[in-house]
Amino acid sequence: MTDNINEKEIAPESQEGIATESKVMKKRDVDKVSKKQVAVKVLVQIGLYTFLVIMALIVLFPFYWMIISSLKSLEEYNAAVPTLWPQQFKWSNYSAAFDADGLNLGRLFLNTCIVGIVSTLLSLVVTVLAAYAFARLEFKGKNIMFAALLATMMIPGELFTITNYLTVSAFQWKNTFTVLIVPFLVSVFYIYLLRQNFLQIPNELYLAAKVDGTSDLKYLWKVMIPLSAPTLISITILKMMGAWNSYIWPRLVANDMAHRLITVGLRGATFTDPLTNMTDYPAQMAAVVIVTIPLLLVFLFFRKYIMRGVSRSGIKG
Amino acid sequence: MKKKNQWKAWLYLLPTLLIIAVFTVWPIINTIRMSLLKNYDSLREIGGASFEFGFANFVSVAKYKGFLNCLGNTMILCVVTVPISTMLALVIAVALNSIKFVRKTLQTIFFLPYVTNSIAIGMVFMAMFTMIGYAPGHEPASVGIINSIIEAFGGTRINWVNAGSGKLENMVVLVIYIVWNALPFKILVLLGGLQSVNKQYYDAAKVDGTSRFRTFWRITVPLLSPMIAYVVITGFIGGFKEYSSIVGIFGDGMGPAGAAGSLNTMVGFIYDNLDTNQGRASAAALILFVIIFVVTMINMWVSKKKVHY
Amino acid sequence: MKRRFGAILMSGVMACSVMAGLAFSTACTGNQKPDFVMPEGGFDTNKEVTITFYHSMGQDNKKVLNASLEEFKKLYPNITVIEEAQGGYDDVRDQITKEIMDGSQPDVAYCYPDHVALFNQSGAVQSLNDFLADGTYKDYTVPQVKLDADGNQLKNDDGSYVTEEVSLNLTQAQKESYIDGYYAEGFKFDDETKMYTLPFSKSTEVLYYNKTLFEKHNLTVPKTWQELGALCETIHGIDSKVFPFTYDSEANWFITMCEQYGSGYTSATGNKFLFDNKTNQEFVTTFTDWYEKGYFTTQSLNGEGGNPKYTSDHFTAQNSFMCIGSSAGAGNQLPPVTNGVPQFQVGITSIPQVNPDAPKVISQGPSVCILKQDDPQRVLASWLLVKYLTTDVNFQAALSITSGYVPVLKEEVMKTNVAYAAHLSTADENAPTTRANITALSAKVCMEQEKAYFVSPAFVGSSTARDQVGYLMLAAFTSKTNNKTIDQAFKDAIAECEYFDVG
Repeated sequence: MTDNINEKEIAPESQEGIATESKVMKKRDVDKVSKKQVAVKVLVQIGLYTFLVIMALIVLFPFYWMIISSLKSLEEYNAAVPTLWPQQFKWSNYSAAFDADGLNLGRLFLNTCIVGIVSTLLSLVVTVLAAYAFARLEFKGKNIMFAALLATMMIPGELFTITNYLTVSAFQWKNTFTVLIVPFLVSVFYIYLLRQNFLQIPNELYLAAKVDGTSDLKYLWKVMIPLSAPTLISITILKMMGAWNSYIWPRLVANDMAHRLITVGLRGATFTDPLTNMTDYPAQMAAVVIVTIPLLLVFLFFRKYIMRGVSRSGIKG
Repeated sequence: MKKKNQWKAWLYLLPTLLIIAVFTVWPIINTIRMSLLKNYDSLREIGGASFEFGFANFVSVAKYKGFLNCLGNTMILCVVTVPISTMLALVIAVALNSIKFVRKTLQTIFFLPYVTNSIAIGMVFMAMFTMIGYAPGHEPASVGIINSIIEAFGGTRINWVNAGSGKLENMVVLVIYIVWNALPFKILVLLGGLQSVNKQYYDAAKVDGTSRFRTFWRITVPLLSPMIAYVVITGFIGGFKEYSSIVGIFGDGMGPAGAAGSLNTMVGFIYDNLDTNQGRASAAALILFVIIFVVTMINMWVSKKKVHY
Repeated sequence: MKRRFGAILMSGVMACSVMAGLAFSTACTGNQKPDFVMPEGGFDTNKEVTITFYHSMGQDNKKVLNASLEEFKKLYPNITVIEEAQGGYDDVRDQITKEIMDGSQPDVAYCYPDHVALFNQSGAVQSLNDFLADGTYKDYTVPQVKLDADGNQLKNDDGSYVTEEVSLNLTQAQKESYIDGYYAEGFKFDDETKMYTLPFSKSTEVLYYNKTLFEKHNLTVPKTWQELGALCETIHGIDSKVFPFTYDSEANWFITMCEQYGSGYTSATGNKFLFDNKTNQEFVTTFTDWYEKGYFTTQSLNGEGGNPKYTSDHFTAQNSFMCIGSSAGAGNQLPPVTNGVPQFQVGITSIPQVNPDAPKVISQGPSVCILKQDDPQRVLASWLLVKYLTTDVNFQAALSITSGYVPVLKEEVMKTNVAYAAHLSTADENAPTTRANITALSAKVCMEQEKAYFVSPAFVGSSTARDQVGYLMLAAFTSKTNNKTIDQAFKDAIAECEYFDVG
């Protein structure tokens, strides 16, 4: 929907700054456009694509490396000179990942999904409410409170682990899903992010809604949330990733089979090569790829929604 | 209306405050307590030891001869990586938003790093920069992809991360690694932000015949400024806590072989103390907190002037 | 008035959290577990008791452990053992240090001596003195189920087990079955009067050499460091592109040299860090000279960035003539096979010495310790488990064959196990080209050196000293490019050790 508007508007690499398009050009009335302008336009497009493709290759490289490493033999993996393409595809790494002793991949999946989904949903509610309060509501000490929340992010959290361990132990939360969900429901990072987004939504809308007698909650639900959909989805993705990658805390407080999460399970499982007793990294990498696939699918699904953007016709910005 | 909002606002904040109070504020209070007990250690406390009250931990942190090095490394990494990664992410996000052909494919590609395991990223860096089999009088078995490229262009290879490598080379590698790691998050946030920008501004700019370059600086950047401010401020907060990227490349020694600790950071120093001296670790954490706090306040002050809501 | 509501609410939340927190902290910390006291009536076989064992075994070794735990369960049906792999040795340590805080620590754990020193700051580790051959409880017995020749439990007509009374403590024979040096390691704490650990499985460093190349060039395997230096020069003359030798662990190298010279490394009491002395500076200077000549590489120098990489890759690629590494890693030194023929033959022998008549080799590998518990029955069950696993010939044999580590029992005791005797007999010095073969040969070389084993004193911070001497060696080797003198490298290492020493 927005594609044809976006497509030509912004060209950061344009140095001369004369690549403006006229409506004339859009109508392909090429005759009236000087050759120079066409040349610049083409150059800008080439520059843009070259830049994006190079950057894409760079960010893609580790992903590529992850896939090919999962298909190498241990011997090839350990070779002094790394190979860019597996000499022989060793698909058995994948079956080895499923067979790893005591890994129980299905259970780990299920646990991670439960924790990921529940904590994401709850966290969204908590974050939206807090961000709304900071962005739209007026109350005494708002700025100080916000600064205080930001300040809590500034103390290195490594020291919190022991104290929090004792707290959840006293709550008798060890080896429950609660301990994996509740302590991390609030992220000041996300509250801050959403607040920034909420602040971008014009205040006039809010005042108009107030005149109409719309309640805060209804306004939040009907206007703010739809308008902030891309950010909310970004937060969803980040939160899901968090559940998928969390390691230190889950290992410490919920390391029984009924609650163990995927990353803990994978790192704990030892993939050893039967011949040399060395760690079989390719098999481990194959396991990593397996657990990554569902995440990738969720991602591709959500990407569409982030990129769809929001319609804001009729709203003065 | 105003009065009503008072308690309503607190109600909205209640879940957040409850959780923060238990899982963040309480640990902070405990951190302050530990920082004031000389050489406090929780295992020794259980064993019945008592600890002298005072500021001895802060003094001993300041007296550490590697302290300035840790602080300097942290600052340098922060000041260099945050602007680079923010600019790069901004340009990528805007470029992605302004192309048509294979746009979706490219967008998808820029999302992939999220699902890439950090072990894989570490492995790639080794393939890029490490010389394998490097030693005096020995020709390395592999010089790494980057050195291969340098040699292909007639340059001499550089010792990036191996034994005896210089601090400048180490820092260059670290900066690339950190920027690489930080890019996906920033692109995601900025791309999300771009979708919320009102398209009418662009229509207006187009009618006025404004140049692309001016459109970028005068319209895109100001409209995105809340998100840019967010990315910069959180980037600095995260940057001051840099640690895992150094372990990722240089291992627990926090430096290349032969120069252990040369790349140590503040959080690295906190980890060094965490096992046996939580008192000193707490003091170091609080010192770092004050530094981050001051820098963030400066950031906030600047952004207040520049950010356009 | 309403304006204050928020402030009141907030301060209320804060106050609650602070008070609750203070309550937890007093409830949870400071709960040191009691020292073991023999309960009335001794070990109660009618009461179900469950104990947890933290270790860091991989899947193959875990199978061996589980088989033995089944045997143990037959002997003591009321004891259930839950074994949990925790990742690496450091993961076991980190998990336990947290769990000591809320009193949920396991009963039995894999440990290195410095871990025990760390745990014991809280007084969490049970001293084993009372359970030793001449200990307080030497007259106590426990009922153990009798097994028939096939290993099945014998039962009475009423369905109860047939039991026999066995000694609770180590018997004199059991004590003597341990390799003396390994047994003595359990005392290497504080003033060396209390025993906190029993050895579980062990390894040392050995010299692997390329037998084919040695024979081809008519070289002799070095017995001393001096001979090694001369040999390096010869090999360098033959082929300057290869490494004459590689040494995996820089820290082990330094510590072993200190021990061989008797020049001082660390001490658990008094002045702890003794390693900055003239003898040590001299050998480091010699090795630095060797490094600059291209004689060797180590796992950190060979590593990727600062992440160590075993040097066996040079050895198997015939890029080095010799490799000094862990005896438990023998499987990594296997030559590649082309067309069914191994590319070279491997020889294994003892590492070079300062004085071959009084050899010293480092002792490595896990021990086990018992952590105190409120319930004395759990401590008794833990003791029975520890005693069983460390003295059972079948378990020690199976674990050794699978893992490559050597048993903690003397060779003559181990040879009573048919499988192990067979395993050792496969150690063919002329053709160690299969994994079983090379593992057996390395085990044999280890066992021959049982008198030479040493351990360094364990104290809180002894692992810092170990890290620092490793860094010291590397700093010295690269001293030319780092513009740092060897003396400065020593001074820096001492300064770091002293800064992080809290005792």
